[in-house]
Amino acid sequence: MNEVTGEGRRPGDSYLPAALGVCWRYLHNLYTRPAQFIPSLLFPLFFLAAFAGGLSVVADSPGFDYYDYTAFQFCFVLIQASALAGVFAGFSIAADFELGMGRRMMLATPNRSAIVVGYAVGAASRLGLTWVVVTGVALLAGMSVGGGPVDLAGMYSLALLGNVAALLFSAGIALRFRSLQAGPLMQMPIFILLFLAPVYVPQALLTGWIEPAASVNPVTAILNAARSLLAGEPTGILAAYAVAFGLIALLALWAMSGLRRAEVAG
Amino acid sequence: MDARSSGTLGGLGGPPDQIYMITGLRSSAAHSGSVDGAGRSDGRVADNGIEVEDLVRQFKNGPRAVDGISLEVKPGEIYGFLGPNGAGKSTTVHMLTTLLPPTAGVARVAGFDVATEGPLVRRVLGAALQEAALDPHLTGDEHMRLQTALHGLDHDDRRTRGRELIERVGLSDAADRKVGGYSGGMKRRLDLALALVHRPRVLFLDEPTTGLDPQSRSALWEEVTRLSKEDGVTVFLTTQYLEEADQLAERVGIIDAGKIVAEGTPAALKAEIGRPSVEVVPRDPAKAEQSAAILGRFGRPVPAAGEALGVRLSEGIDELVGIVRAFDEAEIELASLVLNEPTLDDVFLARTGHHLEGDEGAGDSGEMSLPDQAPAG
Ligand SMILES: Nc1ncnc2c1ncn2[C@@H]1O[C@H](COP(=O)(O)OP(=O)(O)O)[C@@H](O)[C@H]1O
Ligand SMILES: [Mg+2]
Repeated sequence: MNEVTGEGRRPGDSYLPAALGVCWRYLHNLYTRPAQFIPSLLFPLFFLAAFAGGLSVVADSPGFDYYDYTAFQFCFVLIQASALAGVFAGFSIAADFELGMGRRMMLATPNRSAIVVGYAVGAASRLGLTWVVVTGVALLAGMSVGGGPVDLAGMYSLALLGNVAALLFSAGIALRFRSLQAGPLMQMPIFILLFLAPVYVPQALLTGWIEPAASVNPVTAILNAARSLLAGEPTGILAAYAVAFGLIALLALWAMSGLRRAEVAG
Repeated sequence: MDARSSGTLGGLGGPPDQIYMITGLRSSAAHSGSVDGAGRSDGRVADNGIEVEDLVRQFKNGPRAVDGISLEVKPGEIYGFLGPNGAGKSTTVHMLTTLLPPTAGVARVAGFDVATEGPLVRRVLGAALQEAALDPHLTGDEHMRLQTALHGLDHDDRRTRGRELIERVGLSDAADRKVGGYSGGMKRRLDLALALVHRPRVLFLDEPTTGLDPQSRSALWEEVTRLSKEDGVTVFLTTQYLEEADQLAERVGIIDAGKIVAEGTPAALKAEIGRPSVEVVPRDPAKAEQSAAILGRFGRPVPAAGEALGVRLSEGIDELVGIVRAFDEAEIELASLVLNEPTLDDVFLARTGHHLEGDEGAGDSGEMSLPDQAPAG
């Protein structure tokens, strides 16, 4: 009756189901508990309203050469919201390891990197709704779109890559600390990096210490490329993708070494 | 609660073996029978047994929680790992289930090295840990769905397997309720069901009955026995309860302060201690002192519950007749006379110098033991 399972199966066979299982639970808990989900949506919308509304005079300043201030802000908010979705998934990883579900997953999953991959797929899946809401609100606020479908696909892809990078970074923290108390450690560096990019004015108009900071900030390359795509005048696209994939490669190592740390911690 | 198995005077005068039978214990024959009954030659030990050699876990800035233990669990056997709180039981389970790397030593589960072949070990083992990790926001069914996915069961298999197990642990009616509303016993049962989804060959249960009411406890014992006998699952079960180790386990390892202090079948362990004890309660409490003096002629006094007076017989069971005669001659009427077979606690006491169940009498209130301390970092 209790026939021995899977003599012919290898641990790798359960990789995809395990990752999808982790992802399913993540999304299930997210969407069945609006209290968890709504704040992460409201936050970027607040930014959009505050900046696109309150700061639109910036668009009149000399040297502002982007076609539309709401669109200018939208790109930032899109990338910020996408990154934030990754950070929130990091919170969930930390909570799971703090409360014991992490142990269940570590025990049941032959190949444990499937756990991180599952969360990553979950974090990326939740982007759909985030994008619809953020884009919808921006359009309602009067944003005009310069680029065609291919440009827009490129822009959203960059946001997706930002999401993956933020998730991997947060996962690395979450797996090292295995406690929700590490939340600020996941959030702060990403916020700082985001705001050390040309958020309110184009890079050319930046002055003071933020100018060199922005020029080496990987977010700058991604943000500028996304804005150029939205305008329908793509520039620096290859560089932006190279930066994004480079970042993801590094942060994947960071997340996997975090997983090793969680493994030896028990 | 007195966890010792005791028999009344009914067996007086019979041969010792018979007395052991009436005490309600499983006879030693039953024990050895089932061990041999697993009937697998040594060549198959690796198949789904457990082998542990000099296993050590030294926590950073913490205790040497497991201090060089060696043990072997045969395929299909129920092995009881008995020890007080903090003895190192959970740490051992965590190492054997690949949740914690050993500091030193070797352990193989179903022939796979826990340190170097983690994925293969995880594929064949199931575990219900001391703190059942469940998501309060998921229902029983949803937990099944997650667990079957984590193990990579085929889609067709998932649903039927989940249903079958939920039913087997008696949770069908609660399957679509969120686990947050489950009782402690229900959570344990669900945890056990989850541990079984991939038909593990080796099952680890870390204090599965701590905090359970007597009915749930015996239901779990039945299920564990069934798994071992019918499905041939090897079971490694930790417990703080003597009774549990005694009744459920075919072989017992007793651990204290990270070291195994005794190992063997319950019957053999107790036979090593050998001598049974007798407890009497004089009908007239005023005769307690006199009664104690009489008992003192037959052996060393041992603590007994309530009004009772206890003595560990220095010669053995044959002395019972003498005791009865002595009380008769002194004209002391007895309200009761109980023969206690040596217990695993006596074994523990003999090996460590202290009792297994501390002063606070673990096991009376069904309280949960504290979860493992898990300092961050
Ligand atoms: N993660 C840990 N870090 C430091 N010490 C620990 C850790 N886990 C357990 N211990 C200590 O190791 C010892 C054995 O604990 P444990 O294996 O949980 O015992 P048991 O399960 O037998 O009650 C205890 O002294 C406990 O405090
Ligand atoms: Mg324990």
